[in-house]
Amino acid sequence: MIAQLILTGLLLAALFYAWIEYPRSPAVGLLTVLAAWAGLFFVWFPEQATRIAAWVGIGRGVDLVIYVWIGISLIVLLNLHLKIRAQMELITVLARKIAIAGAREGQGPPFAVAPTLTPGDDSEKPRSVP
Amino acid sequence: MTTALVPPHEAWVVFAAYNEARVIADVVADVRHAGHPAVVVDDGSTDGTGAAAREAGATVLEHPINLGQGAALQTALEYAVSAGAEFIVTFDADGQHRARDIPRLMEALLRGGADFALGSRFLGDTLNMPSARRRLLQAATWFTRATTGLRITDSHNGLRAMTRRGALAIRLKQNRMAHASEILHQIAASGLKYVEAPVTIEYSTYSLAKGQQLGDSLSIVLDLFARRLHR
Repeated sequence: MIAQLILTGLLLAALFYAWIEYPRSPAVGLLTVLAAWAGLFFVWFPEQATRIAAWVGIGRGVDLVIYVWIGISLIVLLNLHLKIRAQMELITVLARKIAIAGAREGQGPPFAVAPTLTPGDDSEKPRSVP
Repeated sequence: MTTALVPPHEAWVVFAAYNEARVIADVVADVRHAGHPAVVVDDGSTDGTGAAAREAGATVLEHPINLGQGAALQTALEYAVSAGAEFIVTFDADGQHRARDIPRLMEALLRGGADFALGSRFLGDTLNMPSARRRLLQAATWFTRATTGLRITDSHNGLRAMTRRGALAIRLKQNRMAHASEILHQIAASGLKYVEAPVTIEYSTYSLAKGQQLGDSLSIVLDLFARRLHR
């Protein structure tokens, strides 16, 4: 019974996590909800868990609960990866602003005066102007 | 037949460069010699790429850290648009593109009434292209055609021209190599007109060493997939 309560608490926490994450990452939110509800079902109906476990070739219901928990952990890892990507996007925006603000013009001669673009014609060389 | 279309100084050429000090000066000089403004985004190089590009006459923007080619390209597009560019050409910094292909791109862009002109080596020419690279690019093109609906012949060609309106429709989120696919997805999503133009790609030992490898393809697919999982 104690184990059931602890697992229930953890799975409810997973549901809460899914609720928070859903607006930013619907796929992660939905997967976590599905896994957490499956986990709750297996925790409170162990005989059903054992039956389903035998049907899918796992053996014991308790193993099924462990596998579900591993699944939730992998989903959370995926979400952490996505969060790191999101952080990288913010860093990119910041770096871009710094780069644009610090743009430095070239040291070479001013733009060459070249003939108007003519396809396939590179024979006439441009002359530079002061 | 050659026809006057637009002065070269109206077509800004932008580069994303990372540790290209060996070649960037020649590449920029080639473009500048043709009369184009050049903008180089130095993506956190440690070999003096930015200084070499600036000495060759390019306006240089420096990322404080290395972010990837896609991030640098987006920086270049945003800068060029903010500086008033009406036409923007993206150009590889490793020396495999030729400045004399820019008029062909611009002609295709303007005559086609398009917002994007995409360079195609398979409509044009390739020099020293390994057969394995050809097969990889053809597979990538097939994949891109299937996923975007764009009828293109070369999906990973960095030589493109676009109008200001086209550049404003591009918002690259893929910092690294997957940006080449992302830009095509965004072109398709924008509904803006695109055309292809024949260009020449010249492979050298240097550009092949810097270019994409087979293993990068998997990273690109994973990046594209991961991007769809979050907002």
